[in-house]
Amino acid sequence: MTSTRMIARRSVLAGLAASTLAPRLAAAVDPSVVAAAKKEGEVVWYASLVQNQAVRPIVAAFQKAYPEIRVSVVTGTVNDLLLKLLDEGKAGSMRCDVSHAGSAFGPLSRAGLIESYVPAAAATFPADYKDAAGTWTAQVVSFLAPAANTTLVKDGDLPRTLADLTDPKWARKIAWTNQMSQGGPPGFIGMVLTSMGEEAGMAYLRRLAPNIVNVPANQRVVLDQVIAGQYPLALMTFTHHAELSARKGAPVRWLKLEPVIGTADAAYLLKGGPHPNAARLFLEFLLSKPGQETFRAAGYLPADPAVEPELPGLTPQSGGFRAAFVPLPVFDASVQKWIGIYNELFK
Amino acid sequence: MTTAAPPARALFRPVPTWRADGVAAWLPALVMTLLLGALVLPPVAILVRTSLEGPAAGLTLEHYRALLSDPKLWSSAWNSVLFAFFATLVSLLIGGAQAWIVERTDAPLRFLANLTAVVSLGTPYVLTVGAWLFLLGRAGPLNHGYMALTGSGEPLFNVYSLSGMILIEGFLWSPLVFLMLSATFRRSNAELEEAARVAGATVLQTVWHVSLKLARPAIFGLFLFVFIRNIESFDVPVLIGTPSRINILTTDIYLGVTQTPPRLGFASAYATVLMVIVAGLLYLYGRLLRHADRHAVVTGKGFRPRPFALGRYRRWASALILANVMILLVLPLAAILWTALSPFIRPMTLSGLATLTLDNFRVVVDDPSSFRLAINTLAVSAAAATACMSLTVIAAWLHVRRWPFAGLLDQLTSVPLVFPGVVFGLAMIQIALRGPLPLYGTFTLIVFAFTIRYLPYGMRYAFNGVLQIHRELEEAAGVAGARQQQILARIVAPMLTPAISVGWMFIFLLASKELSMTVLLAGAHSKTMAVVIFDQFANGAAGEAAAIGFLWMLFMTGVAAALFAVMQLRPGMGVRA
Repeated sequence: MTSTRMIARRSVLAGLAASTLAPRLAAAVDPSVVAAAKKEGEVVWYASLVQNQAVRPIVAAFQKAYPEIRVSVVTGTVNDLLLKLLDEGKAGSMRCDVSHAGSAFGPLSRAGLIESYVPAAAATFPADYKDAAGTWTAQVVSFLAPAANTTLVKDGDLPRTLADLTDPKWARKIAWTNQMSQGGPPGFIGMVLTSMGEEAGMAYLRRLAPNIVNVPANQRVVLDQVIAGQYPLALMTFTHHAELSARKGAPVRWLKLEPVIGTADAAYLLKGGPHPNAARLFLEFLLSKPGQETFRAAGYLPADPAVEPELPGLTPQSGGFRAAFVPLPVFDASVQKWIGIYNELFK
Repeated sequence: MTTAAPPARALFRPVPTWRADGVAAWLPALVMTLLLGALVLPPVAILVRTSLEGPAAGLTLEHYRALLSDPKLWSSAWNSVLFAFFATLVSLLIGGAQAWIVERTDAPLRFLANLTAVVSLGTPYVLTVGAWLFLLGRAGPLNHGYMALTGSGEPLFNVYSLSGMILIEGFLWSPLVFLMLSATFRRSNAELEEAARVAGATVLQTVWHVSLKLARPAIFGLFLFVFIRNIESFDVPVLIGTPSRINILTTDIYLGVTQTPPRLGFASAYATVLMVIVAGLLYLYGRLLRHADRHAVVTGKGFRPRPFALGRYRRWASALILANVMILLVLPLAAILWTALSPFIRPMTLSGLATLTLDNFRVVVDDPSSFRLAINTLAVSAAAATACMSLTVIAAWLHVRRWPFAGLLDQLTSVPLVFPGVVFGLAMIQIALRGPLPLYGTFTLIVFAFTIRYLPYGMRYAFNGVLQIHRELEEAAGVAGARQQQILARIVAPMLTPAISVGWMFIFLLASKELSMTVLLAGAHSKTMAVVIFDQFANGAAGEAAAIGFLWMLFMTGVAAALFAVMQLRPGMGVRA
């Protein structure tokens, strides 16, 4: 199936889902919030999701349900958006209502820029996927694993364990992103140190370091470079990206090296945002069935356990693999140490 | 680049008697100095202040200490110098050779060089650099073909190396060198070359002993100008240097800014140090140009140079032009088109042909925002180019004609040259958020930022233009009773039109693709085309980014061709500054 058709089909599905389920969503949200949101007429969303896959269908689905509320999207990488948010907060002039990204949560929270709100839509989400005080809720979850170019690496040569990645035959052949997020080097370093212990973990990272190539781009671009044949292997790529590309015929597959790293993409409200009611309604929408189904149609893994992912085999249950989640507070407390290790061994 | 910075003593030089006395004599330059100062100095102040801010209240030198104690600092600095020096050399060789062939010879196909320069100046770096990386990378046709032919597992050329970095940066800036050196060669004295040929010198001897010697001061000035650009360049060093672990000074600023949470203090300290180094280089540049002006007297006669008959070398010259067209235009365009047509990024192979699809183009064409984006980008770039040229023409005129208090104008317009784009973007955000006007996230802010950013380029073009005009005409108008505003509007501006139009076009093209700063300044309703291409690229929609980029390149080529045609058609104008 071609990508345009897929996108068109997704939009139609999302639109249908939104139009039929809007009354159900509205019922979960305080009617006075809905009325006030409609009066505000706009919600500003700072999003680093993939544009054509996720941002456009979500905006379309929300506006189908609430045509009176315009969604203004500011796009950029997690870091671009974080820089803007911190500056806006510092100047006391917050322009954003809703944003997301686990690695930006810590700095924003320390700067006092997060607005607590417990979304009704996330009541049934697992405890790992939300903060009880309502500072953040996962909108999607992702799993990160190594990926291989199947033309360049024959089946028999594929790494089977994390230890195989340290084989000198992969010297400077394993790419990963240089973005310092949960889904980047710090997340991997944290997983290794947590699962192997400090000493064995550091010894492993030292053996791995000569094989690594830092790519100044996000995980999707790293995966594209593996598909293009620039590198045979990559670490810390999203399993659903590899699966989507493989379905289009790209010579790529993700490798089930355990533990697979699980991350939650935290969505949150910004304190002092210009449209507080529309912000709540939009967050409720992201976490509601229609919102989660839109994420699913875009190939993401919904955080709501009741919404099964479209692609099979990508969750620990359906894929039969062991996943390790680094909780957001633990990540936030340790990330500087892990970045330090990255700077020392890999930079 | 035969411009001149007047000596510092010009600051209080007495004005000619035909000018107004008193306030009217010193007010214009003073107002201009204050205006430019108000534009360019606040970002400097913000940069320095951020570099002195620590986690606690009060000021600290902590970031400077961290910087100087970094064991990798000196190797980064050395890499920066190597990178900037050799990349400048590559640009000068490619751009200089093209400029000489186009301006001074009778080689066929010369028009292609102008076209190539304009199109490549208007294409976002992220696309051209991406295309060259793709072409020269492991999966590109060069290495792919080599490995397929020899059965080797290792590529022929590793683009992720210092030499790859130098080559690509060299390609990137060769159009700038071409445009600036064209002006120099156009004005140089053809009679000397002809005399050398008549006296029996070969083509190469003539080029070496006459053409290059005449242009030497301009070439040195340009070398330093491009060297400064390369020292503060981000895109290529980060894209190529990161995978190969080759750090240069700006890589660390970039990494500091892009880390989560960003290390703004450290990055600002780094940028401040870089700014001081670049300011030193700019001072040198100013001195060189003063020197250049003395040489320019020799070449400043009014004549129309005749093209230099190359004889049997004509074919070689055309081959060089074609090679340049291939490297700068055809190959990157082919790579961008291939990416746009492929369902996923893949090597350029025959088997890949069967899977090509127009889907990415359909998405772009169907997107109702595409047209609006194109119009927005053109409007923002045109507004910035107009504002920038208006300011610099007045500043250059006041400075060259040595009005009282005009001594600082050239230095002030050079200040933005020392800012890396990201750092400048961050400073502009802070100004917009704290300023009295609601500029944040608007097009006005982007126009404002572009205007400041491109002052140095506007100044170089305007300065060149003013230097070429004899002051006698202005004095005659003054004696005949014209007021200063009338002289500026009716004598100076019309005669400067060629220089203004080339400068305008140059800034327009640079602004239409500017990225590092625009990415930070764009709001939900103020995106430019380059930002959208970058967003798509960074978010993994490389095919869509390539499709927008390809259509944008075609569109900008059309716009540039139309502008050139208008300039050429109108009498007294023309791109021949």
